[in-house]
Amino acid sequence: MTLNTVQRDIPSHIDGYGNTAEKLYSGAFERMPEGFGRGGRIRAVTPNDRAKLLSGVSEAISASGLKSGMTISFHHHLRNGDYIVNQVIEACASSGIRDLTIFPTALFGIHKDIIPHIKRGVIRRIMGSVNGPIGALVSEGGMEIPVVLRSHGGRARAVMSGDVHIDVAFIAAPVADIGGNISGRIGKSACGSIGYAFTDALHADCVVALTDNLQHYPIAPVSIPGTCVDFVAQVGSIGDPAGIVSGTTRVTRDPLRLLIAKYASKLIETSQYFRDGINFQTGAGGIPLAVTAFMKEAMKNRHIRGGFGLGGITGYFVDMLKEGLLKKLMDVQSFDEEAVKSIASDPRHIEISADWYANPWNCGAAVNWLDVVILGATELDTDFNANVNTEADGSLLHGIGGHQDTAAGAKLTIIAQPLMRGRIPCLVDKVHTVTTPGEVVDALVTEYGITINPNRPDLIDACKEAKGGDELPLVPVDELRARAREMSGAMEPVWQDERIVGIVEWRDGTIIDVIRQIRSAR
Amino acid sequence: MTIRDNARTAQAGTLESMDCLVTVTESTGERQIEISGAAVSRFAGAMTKKVNQVLDELEGKTEAKSVVVSVQDNGALDIVLGARVEAAYLRLVGGGAS
Repeated sequence: MTLNTVQRDIPSHIDGYGNTAEKLYSGAFERMPEGFGRGGRIRAVTPNDRAKLLSGVSEAISASGLKSGMTISFHHHLRNGDYIVNQVIEACASSGIRDLTIFPTALFGIHKDIIPHIKRGVIRRIMGSVNGPIGALVSEGGMEIPVVLRSHGGRARAVMSGDVHIDVAFIAAPVADIGGNISGRIGKSACGSIGYAFTDALHADCVVALTDNLQHYPIAPVSIPGTCVDFVAQVGSIGDPAGIVSGTTRVTRDPLRLLIAKYASKLIETSQYFRDGINFQTGAGGIPLAVTAFMKEAMKNRHIRGGFGLGGITGYFVDMLKEGLLKKLMDVQSFDEEAVKSIASDPRHIEISADWYANPWNCGAAVNWLDVVILGATELDTDFNANVNTEADGSLLHGIGGHQDTAAGAKLTIIAQPLMRGRIPCLVDKVHTVTTPGEVVDALVTEYGITINPNRPDLIDACKEAKGGDELPLVPVDELRARAREMSGAMEPVWQDERIVGIVEWRDGTIIDVIRQIRSAR
Repeated sequence: MTIRDNARTAQAGTLESMDCLVTVTESTGERQIEISGAAVSRFAGAMTKKVNQVLDELEGKTEAKSVVVSVQDNGALDIVLGARVEAAYLRLVGGGAS
């Protein structure tokens, strides 16, 4: 056992993962790349064999050369409406393919259909976010090999640096042509940006587009060009539109959450970053959307025009673009109908890849240009370390998403959430799992006020100097922790076994923490 | 909840966030406490202790009845849990504690 720099014991060897000595987390920007990047197999398509069209998933699997033991990737822009993962795994099972490593950008509840295939050994390993039922299976020890969790940027880095080699990338394509050009902008299964799939398309040995909307060559505009797509397979439906995009995402109406959003907005307005050209990311949660709404008002009142809005894009960001409060949107994932319509029609709404969004090992990701990000977490500790992966009982239920990347990139990283979720305090002495280190978290905003990381005295001073103290109530982290503890009482330890079921990588590929198997009964 | 005459069982509370639904049932055996909900993983001991403490006090003041207590918790703090147990128990025994 060796401690990394966030004081987590990491065994020197983890079964199914390897030796860890060279891979201990040692600081947010410490590990730097060496050498050259990795790509996929070089292929050639001649004028005589330009047709890439296949009739279905099974034919595509056969044509791709997919064999037992290989690694296949998926992207999650169809979210909880995705039919592709289940169809591909089912077809692999029918073809007798086993021992697969699946490398999705994220899995959702709809993918619970693959659980029997995990149990039968069709899937041997998962590298990627596991939300919901598959996370629960992993937590209870349902997989022999630990899951590897990476951020969006960390995943792109892992592919481009050769940590992970993709044998076959399966890309759900809301529109594709017979030459393999694909886009997410139109079609009955339109999802807007397909940014997470770019990196896979560029680095896999074989790329299969699956579509329910085949068009003549070429479509326009193109997101991923056919030059890196081997096959196009037609399927009946790639997804359920109701699960792909939500209707209009809404601001919270809960007064407690509105108060938190108000404090967070005031903190931003008081910071040095609230000026013309401010770039920010707020995501789609109830509190972050409310922060966006409050910031919008403040921007209007103070005649401030922002730069770009980043990340998962919602209708709120689209409105700000239309009203001239933002100049550009950089979209790796379109959350709602308004965002899908906007990216299809407005050239200022830019589709970006996971690499462009968040990779720490390229010549400058978009997150590096962020002034402010609003994030959530299941818990935070008095060192400001954030846990977004495990729940209070220790079970793995959430992926990292862009949490690490945006926190590291933004000049002001704010975690905004209620102090208590029921009896469970959100501020604890030590988080169960460190996802994002406290060194890149600047403030926690709760209904009790604003708690600023002591490593940001400039922010503390800015709040103290600002007029209107009631709107900027500062609470020291230890005082807030004591308050939470007084309400909740002492927590009993998480009931868990030694066995490691998940590894949380920091975006640079070092291990920031491990997740252990939970015991269900006391 | 007005089950008083010939009471076999009584309830107090709700399943709203930060509340709990407590059901007490008269029994002839030992006191039993069952607790379910998200907070159980980290607060089972504290919750059980609180339920026992409230029941011990009430049994001292009223005509003691052995009960089975079921708590469906949705994040109640101890002070809420205690109040719900007290209300449910008094509904079962027909009030009388002052």
